[in-house]
Amino acid sequence: MDMIDSLIPDDSGSTPALEPMAMVALDAGRMLMESGASANSIDEIVAKFARGLGADRVDLRIGYASLAITIGIGPNGITRMREVGHLGVNQRLDQELWHLAEKVSRGDLSTEQTRAELTRLATQTPRHSAWVMAVAVGLACAAFGRLLKVDWAGTGPVFLAATLGQFFRRELLTRHVNVFICASLVSFLSSLFGGLGAHWAGSAQINMAMIASILLLVPGVPSVNALNDILEGHPTLGSARAVTVAVILIFVAAGLWFGQVLLSHLGIET
Amino acid sequence: MNLTFPFLLHQTICGAIAAAGFGVLFNIGFRSLPWCAASGALALAVRTYCLGLGWNLEAASFAAALTVGAAVQVLRARTDISQNALDVVGCIPMVPGSFAAKAILSMFALTSTSTGDASETLITAVQFALRVTFTIGAIGTGLAIPTLLLRVRVTR
Repeated sequence: MDMIDSLIPDDSGSTPALEPMAMVALDAGRMLMESGASANSIDEIVAKFARGLGADRVDLRIGYASLAITIGIGPNGITRMREVGHLGVNQRLDQELWHLAEKVSRGDLSTEQTRAELTRLATQTPRHSAWVMAVAVGLACAAFGRLLKVDWAGTGPVFLAATLGQFFRRELLTRHVNVFICASLVSFLSSLFGGLGAHWAGSAQINMAMIASILLLVPGVPSVNALNDILEGHPTLGSARAVTVAVILIFVAAGLWFGQVLLSHLGIET
Repeated sequence: MNLTFPFLLHQTICGAIAAAGFGVLFNIGFRSLPWCAASGALALAVRTYCLGLGWNLEAASFAAALTVGAAVQVLRARTDISQNALDVVGCIPMVPGSFAAKAILSMFALTSTSTGDASETLITAVQFALRVTFTIGAIGTGLAIPTLLLRVRVTR
């Protein structure tokens, strides 16, 4: 009984440093998760932050929309939970978080300094401009088109349609439009422009040009993360990611289908 | 598949452009983009070569992902980019998005086809869906194996 008692965290509040320590570690994990990291990376970085700030024991539960942590120092311990927002991909933030984790794990920063650094990273980590991103995505989709055997006449329209689609997607997401609705709208717009453009350019691959124009919407990182998480012992999170990927694909396909229907009404055979 | 050097080069360059383009979307810094392009180029080169040998798409994608995963493990110390991002970006051009779209569109079509066409449409939908599932499974497993075998924790 004594042994069991010694393992039960005591939330008596006798060690006030535990609360900010837990919340800072959770914030680091949340930010990494929102940047597109896999479960093992989140586990690793939260442990680095918590131990670097002085925790003896760290246990983390990773859900799709929340993180829960139990940390302890000596006989004291607390459990806290944090909501996780939209899961995007932000590699530069991911990279900065790992650099900060190194500093924290060496004991270079206090809890308050770490919190200030996290706030700075969240607000000041640079992003590529909307137009750079849109053009890059356009080029990527045009390359995808070539990989899918779209002819050269259809490649230009794919580039333009995907560029416009990415710009439109960013605008919608900054207005907090639901991600699934956003996927359908962008898919419809991009496939329609891709199909019309390919038709006017004389492409023989209108259908493939439409599909290539929407490949910016395929959730590649979540789908690979889903399998990684399952393989690395996080089946609940992996399954949740897989379901989200499947639903996004359904919404993307619905947008493409509407695009094809509209083109067929305009007399363009896809 | 008839594998020629110009075709292999074409696929490799397209893989590099696609990976670098998605690297920008994932907010990877400009200095690290050449690594993304190299990762995508390697993935497409290996996949195209394996397809040229007569392998199916799933096996070729597995071999490509395994190669990229191993290469990223070897090069991780030289790049200032997280391993997870680099190997995933490299494999993005292999994610079968077009098959996924075709599978779901075939399922939509099932609701409107006549009885005679329904079985053929269903088989097409299932075939595409299975190819998507197995290919993503092959990519994910191929990427995970080097990480699981060569994992060195807490060295970023």
